[in-house]
Amino acid sequence: MSETALDRVARALDLIPFISSNPGLSVVQIAERFKSTPSQISKDLSLLHMCGLPGYSHLELLDIDYEDPNYIAVTEAQVLDHPRALTQIEAMTLVLGLQLLTELAGDISERLAITNLQERITTKYGNGLSTTIDITDAIVESPHATQISHALSTHRKLTIKYNSASSDSITSREVYPLHIYYTNGIAYLRAFIVDVNAERSFRLDRITDLHMGETDEGIYETLGKGGSQEEVSEVEIEMGADGYFFIERHNEIVTNHEENSGRFRIRLSVAPGEWITRTLLAWPSKIAVMEPHSLAETITQRIAGALANYQ
Amino acid sequence: MSDQKTERLINLTMALLATKRFLSKSEIFANVAGYSGTVETKERMFERDKDDLRTLGIVINVGSHDPLFADEPGYQILENNYEFEIGELTPQEIAYLSLAARVWRNQLFATGGSHALLKIDALGGTALREDYGQAALSLENETPLFPSLWEAITQMRTISFSYRSQVTTDRTVAPYGLTLWHGSWYLVGLDLSKSEIRVFKVSRIASEITFTGVDHSFAIPKDFSIKDHLIMLAPEPESTFIARVRVGRCHSLRSGADIVNIDGEWDRISFILGSDWLERILWFGEDIILESPAERVSKLLDTLRSKL
Repeated sequence: MSETALDRVARALDLIPFISSNPGLSVVQIAERFKSTPSQISKDLSLLHMCGLPGYSHLELLDIDYEDPNYIAVTEAQVLDHPRALTQIEAMTLVLGLQLLTELAGDISERLAITNLQERITTKYGNGLSTTIDITDAIVESPHATQISHALSTHRKLTIKYNSASSDSITSREVYPLHIYYTNGIAYLRAFIVDVNAERSFRLDRITDLHMGETDEGIYETLGKGGSQEEVSEVEIEMGADGYFFIERHNEIVTNHEENSGRFRIRLSVAPGEWITRTLLAWPSKIAVMEPHSLAETITQRIAGALANYQ
Repeated sequence: MSDQKTERLINLTMALLATKRFLSKSEIFANVAGYSGTVETKERMFERDKDDLRTLGIVINVGSHDPLFADEPGYQILENNYEFEIGELTPQEIAYLSLAARVWRNQLFATGGSHALLKIDALGGTALREDYGQAALSLENETPLFPSLWEAITQMRTISFSYRSQVTTDRTVAPYGLTLWHGSWYLVGLDLSKSEIRVFKVSRIASEITFTGVDHSFAIPKDFSIKDHLIMLAPEPESTFIARVRVGRCHSLRSGADIVNIDGEWDRISFILGSDWLERILWFGEDIILESPAERVSKLLDTLRSKL
């Protein structure tokens, strides 16, 4: 995508304070951070070198050291030594990001420090933000978030009891936490499971019990090496107009879909296990499984079995 | 854009930022590099330049520097408006900000975040920090329409789009606000054909956003608050269910339920579910036999038959 006319002015104004505070970066490093090319950044720097304050003598011009592309510095930033104000979208991005951090904060003082930052940003940029945008319930509050984030930062093993919806069983697992992520507002833990030597995701709200284990700094070096990849299989289904809502709900596993006169044909990429069987079983309208054939058969059997219970 | 114009805009920004008092147009034309030509040409240049800087989010204050000539406006950019400045920041606080900027995986907000991060690094000189890798935290939302909706809201322009609910219909809306609620974006606005405030799930908008009104084509009521209109927040109607469930199965229905063992194969449980009751029960297939309420049992059986 080519940059819009004003993008260059914005970047130029942001380059000066950025380089001022981070002297000695190379043109390539700067280009990476500004998502631009080294030759464009070089052009920007030589243009900026001509700009300055009224008078425009060497005392008033910006002074940039850019002869050596491996060492860029600003020796005179004039009035541009501080970064520009955030845009509303940037401010919102930060405020919400901080909110997720409070959720994971290790203790009260950390939480207060983060909340305080959030307030300082909202005070400065809140004009309009507060009535036109509301992100206070962006995510579902999750149990164990604090403990897990503590385990993450201290590299601790966790023993968790997990209520797996897909297998309808409660199991105990020893895991090394890798990171926490949110999908559709719900928190998941991505972790390495010791006994199966593989990564899996766990919904935080389905963890029924949790114990902190030992710190093991070394283990993260070896994790994932030689671990088995989670295999996925392809499923194709066909359904009516509510297919749109199926896609909305399960967007993270939909690889392709076609809509044809009110019917949806949807391709899914799913992990092994009962999750897909139950998901299709629980959908309140008819879903035809085009492939694999075995899945179509299983679901028909489960429905027939459920109906037989009432005979 | 020509180098000349880029240069002029940077020079203008710097001059207006450096000045301690309002600068009049004639002072700007005389002193800021890049203004040339007839007075009319310079005036036109300056008007466009002002608009351009405002598009970049730079606030230009207009006032008079000389009470005797109050009709000649002057221009100035205040440091406090131009700069990031939220007070002294400790290294720890800068670390929080940079982590917060890297939370998003979604395209638009990832861009917002990486722009914010450039500014944070310009505060702290932290561009070469070690942890510039994957954030431990990420959030996923698909919001390709967000920029148009945001523009409509901030410029108060009415919009129209086609919206999927039971049927897909065209809606014309005065957009009041957006909310990110439990991972999904919702638009709250006045549905002009119904004259009522409605909530629209952004992912259900099935078309591009068409702007139907000019800037400031409506005003948001003074007492408007997004939360007041979120139907999701209304208490959900709940019912008590009684069912037989296989021993050692249906774990998520058992928590909080009254459980009585019947025999080696079945328990009887009494539990409460909300509007998602049908899916929650279907999930367990042949491991559950619903006994009451009767109308829910027949709804369940109808659904099962229709799925064959």
